[in-house]
Amino acid sequence: MHNLIPLFIVIPLASAFLVPVIGRLIKGFSKIITLTAFLCLLLLSLNYIFLSDFSPIIYKIGGWEPVENIPIAIYLVLDSFSIFMLCIINVMAFLSALYSVSYIEKYTGINNFYTLLCIMVAGLNGIVLTGDLFNLYVFLEITVIASYALVAFGTEKEELEASFKYQVLGGIATAMILFSIGLIYWYTKTLNIADISEILQTSEDHRLIEFSQLMLIAGFGLKAAIMPFHGWLPDAHSSAPSPISAMLSGVVIKAAGLYVLFRLFFNMYVISFDIGVLITAIGTLSMVVGVFLAIGQWDLKRLLAYHSISQMGYVILGVGMGMLILAKNGNKTLAALAIGGGLFHLVNHAVFKGLLFLNAGAIEYTLGTRDLKKMGGLYSKMPVTSVTSLSASLAISGIPPFNGFFSKLIIILAAVQARFYLLAVLAVVVSIITLASFMKFQRYAFFNTSAPKKVIKEVPLSMTAVMIFMAVLCLGLSLLILPDIRDSFLGPAVNVLLDTTNYSTVILGN
Amino acid sequence: MEENFMHINLINPVVYTCMLPLIAGILFFLIPEKLKITKGIIAVMLSGISLYFAFVLYSAASLHEQYSVLPAGITYFNVAASSLLLCNIDPLARLVSLFICFFSFLITIYYTAFTAKENSISHFYSYMLFTLGASVITVLTGNLLVFVFFWGFLGITLYKLINAHDEISSAAAKKTLILVGASDGLMILGIAILWKISGSFDFTRAGIPTTNGLSITAFFCLLVGSFTKAGAFPFHTWIPDYTESAPAPASAYLPASLDKLLGIYFLARIFNDLFEVSSWIRLVVLILGTSTIIIAVMMALVQHNYKRLLGYHAVSQVGYMVTGIALGSVLGIVGGLFHMVNHALYKSGLFLVAGSIKKASGKDNLEQLGGLSKFMPVTFICALVFALSISGIPPLNGFASKWLIYQGIIEFGTGTGIANQLWILWLALAVIGSALTLASFIKFISGIFLGRQKTSLKEIKEVNWLMWLPQIILAVACIGFGVMASNRVIPQIFTPVTGEILYSGLWNSSAISLLIIISILLGIAIYFTLTLKKFRTEDSFIGGETFRDQAGFETTEFYDTIKNSSFFSIFYKAAEKKWFDIYELSKNSVLKISHFFSAAHNGILSNLAFWVLAGLIIMFIFLLM
Repeated sequence: MHNLIPLFIVIPLASAFLVPVIGRLIKGFSKIITLTAFLCLLLLSLNYIFLSDFSPIIYKIGGWEPVENIPIAIYLVLDSFSIFMLCIINVMAFLSALYSVSYIEKYTGINNFYTLLCIMVAGLNGIVLTGDLFNLYVFLEITVIASYALVAFGTEKEELEASFKYQVLGGIATAMILFSIGLIYWYTKTLNIADISEILQTSEDHRLIEFSQLMLIAGFGLKAAIMPFHGWLPDAHSSAPSPISAMLSGVVIKAAGLYVLFRLFFNMYVISFDIGVLITAIGTLSMVVGVFLAIGQWDLKRLLAYHSISQMGYVILGVGMGMLILAKNGNKTLAALAIGGGLFHLVNHAVFKGLLFLNAGAIEYTLGTRDLKKMGGLYSKMPVTSVTSLSASLAISGIPPFNGFFSKLIIILAAVQARFYLLAVLAVVVSIITLASFMKFQRYAFFNTSAPKKVIKEVPLSMTAVMIFMAVLCLGLSLLILPDIRDSFLGPAVNVLLDTTNYSTVILGN
Repeated sequence: MEENFMHINLINPVVYTCMLPLIAGILFFLIPEKLKITKGIIAVMLSGISLYFAFVLYSAASLHEQYSVLPAGITYFNVAASSLLLCNIDPLARLVSLFICFFSFLITIYYTAFTAKENSISHFYSYMLFTLGASVITVLTGNLLVFVFFWGFLGITLYKLINAHDEISSAAAKKTLILVGASDGLMILGIAILWKISGSFDFTRAGIPTTNGLSITAFFCLLVGSFTKAGAFPFHTWIPDYTESAPAPASAYLPASLDKLLGIYFLARIFNDLFEVSSWIRLVVLILGTSTIIIAVMMALVQHNYKRLLGYHAVSQVGYMVTGIALGSVLGIVGGLFHMVNHALYKSGLFLVAGSIKKASGKDNLEQLGGLSKFMPVTFICALVFALSISGIPPLNGFASKWLIYQGIIEFGTGTGIANQLWILWLALAVIGSALTLASFIKFISGIFLGRQKTSLKEIKEVNWLMWLPQIILAVACIGFGVMASNRVIPQIFTPVTGEILYSGLWNSSAISLLIIISILLGIAIYFTLTLKKFRTEDSFIGGETFRDQAGFETTEFYDTIKNSSFFSIFYKAAEKKWFDIYELSKNSVLKISHFFSAAHNGILSNLAFWVLAGLIIMFIFLLM
């Protein structure tokens, strides 16, 4: 089983290589090979959920064993949190690729599209798997460079501008991250995350480490589009082709931003109260300001993009509260509840926001517009899009029986229980405004007039099938609240963050 | 052993009543909409079965019981799973669930005949069955999390039943779900605080005193949930919009009957089980309750759309129930609950009447109607019964429950708190509200059924028997509940829920009914014996021209006096500008904040980069401090 881990990176990289080479000769090859590759990845990651015994699996690249307990090789670490993220990444990647089969026909350069998508997925899988700080940086760059190109894929004025902004700000983030990694390397003389963690736990507090933490928050905060580092997101996510928007909003900001933040601040650094306050504060800021920005939008994908900022705020709020409770040596069950709520919302958001972007794509595909004022009456003409988008809208607004209800419920319960009353109130208020803005989307897109302005019909099968499947997932993920299902998927991931030092002990102990 | 036996005996009806409709509702999505009649018949049967099981449950031994559907032992988040599935089968829950099933049954029958191509709601039966199952679960569950889950789910069915198609109806649908969903959010907050205070999600916890800020916040959060569902001021504004746009059976089903039952049920739980309410909170709730009565009825007086008029009355009547429950005495609670049931009876009846009129005539406004009593005699008589009931005319049921509430207020006046001192104010407002209700129902009845018959309304026929049968059942229930109020209905149905009542204004409803019938007969006898019938009707003489429709006086015009009088016109103008609508107010303020933030997001790259640096510096300063 251990040897299968590199496949997560090898398979998409290989297909990224094959697509432009062979795809040039055989029409339709790019679609088939990408779908096959993603299906393999999907099965592989699901396989790890069902077969995992929750202890981390380590793959040492090159097979170099540690010398005197100092790791030499680059480690790939597959623990429960990684499995959790891998499932989200690969499920979403497969669904987006399937959706693209019909959607991408309106663009030229289909081979380039699939190549870039494969590279992006390879980078994401790498970020989640790697146990080495510099290697993490490399995979991060692979991911974001692929996404710069994908955002600009339409090559119109708007797309190029969005991509340019994304690149400049991404460049700033990269510089900060690299600087911070350099500082850490200088201080600890190692790049292995587990090794760094062990050294930091024994060493005294140092201002330098705090500085590196700030740089990392800013750098990865920018990748995760947390306020005030969010400036690139509304443009980039609304300009990209819709399946890519679904990937960016559903997966990239989580895996390249939040995952790394959580991993490093829980499992590498010693948890500190101040950093916890900072992270929770920027999370809350994103949650509140993001939703106010979203509700005023009339561009559908821009509205969704601002909601991504706001919903990431919920995730950070949940996990940040857990961090605060842990830093104060509070009740561990309560910390588990808060972190569990945050991670639950993370997976939920991947599904419903992905679905919403695909819905927006379907509307854009048939109507050719993203302007809500130009839509209306699609209810009878596009029943699948209408029903699936309603379920996604209700899910993101936290209306039962959809999954968003449960994750928000848990976050609010945890906030009140941990005496963060203000945060609980804000979470409720933001949830209400979210509901309002999605009701606006539903009203103007699907109802409002009885006769749509154009003769239109429902989108092709590959798109509807994906949307239906994701709508079912919106309902089905509610089951994660049940104890048995939770303990095989969500619970272990929470435990990884909860037992902060366990990560380094287990990895170095091997 | 015997306990175990009881357990099995009661659990089955509970599970059947809730789960049967829910599962059937899911399966109904699979049956194509074309088989409407089949679906209708199955739905009627299913709601009938639910009604039967609810009745079995109701008539079972009336002990205060709590059961779990699951055995103990499974835990989750430190909460036993068995407590999630706890059932709370006390007399109040049984009573409310019985009525939920009763209304579902009648309205399903009505809908089978109501449905037609242009006004059918897609998947009505599915949503109807979902609503039925979810409502019964919210009433029977003993766990607050399960409660809020299904409570929120009811928002979706409410939203789907409105059948949004044009600008007005989709705006109403949006507003409805936003307000209802917002109240759910607040309820989650309230429940989280309750969990913090009491450490449990159990419904029937001994009352938490509302002494500190935390418990008061929790109280008001939950109160908002109940007020929004039932439609009390200031969270009522979705109801008139909803009833105006939604097909009448949907209005009859949710805002008129089920939402009232659930909202007031929850209000009773908040006041009697969850909290120990302090006197100034009673004062606040009484102010809200009585202002609901007056404000909504004043709005109802000036409406032209008859469904919107009924919608405002659906709000106004809630004021009585809220007032009754807020009194806190047994008398008040009996009055409130009795009024809740009565209101559901006559208001769903009125909406069914409205649906029949809409179906028969296709008209929405009172001005376009008139003189329908000849063509739709059954509907007319039912409408008359309902209208007299809602106006509180003895011996009908509306009078019986209002009388109890008046008595409750008078009894309340003997207390010493500040709310008690103001009893005369509450009584006056309640009585005035009742008088104004009568005034506006004169408009409703005369505008639709009496007066000159419009030339455009020649072709109208009485509706299908499936549509008038539920109305007759409801009308008979209204009369029965009124006539039997003091000797049957109150002692046998309501006092088992709350406890015995004693009050000075005791009356014998049957004897009074007899007197009233005698006086009516006497009146008829006088009418005939004194040959008062010998009068003639003539059209107005307008220079020999034939009388045209527009030359007549519309009933609604008489009510414009109120709207135009100097004092009230200020309020009506403000209301037209939506100054009192909490939805519009909060919408405007949210959009203002939104514009403020949007103005900062001009998308200039150097600004974005500046924010990044500024954020970094602020974090740095924070950490240095």
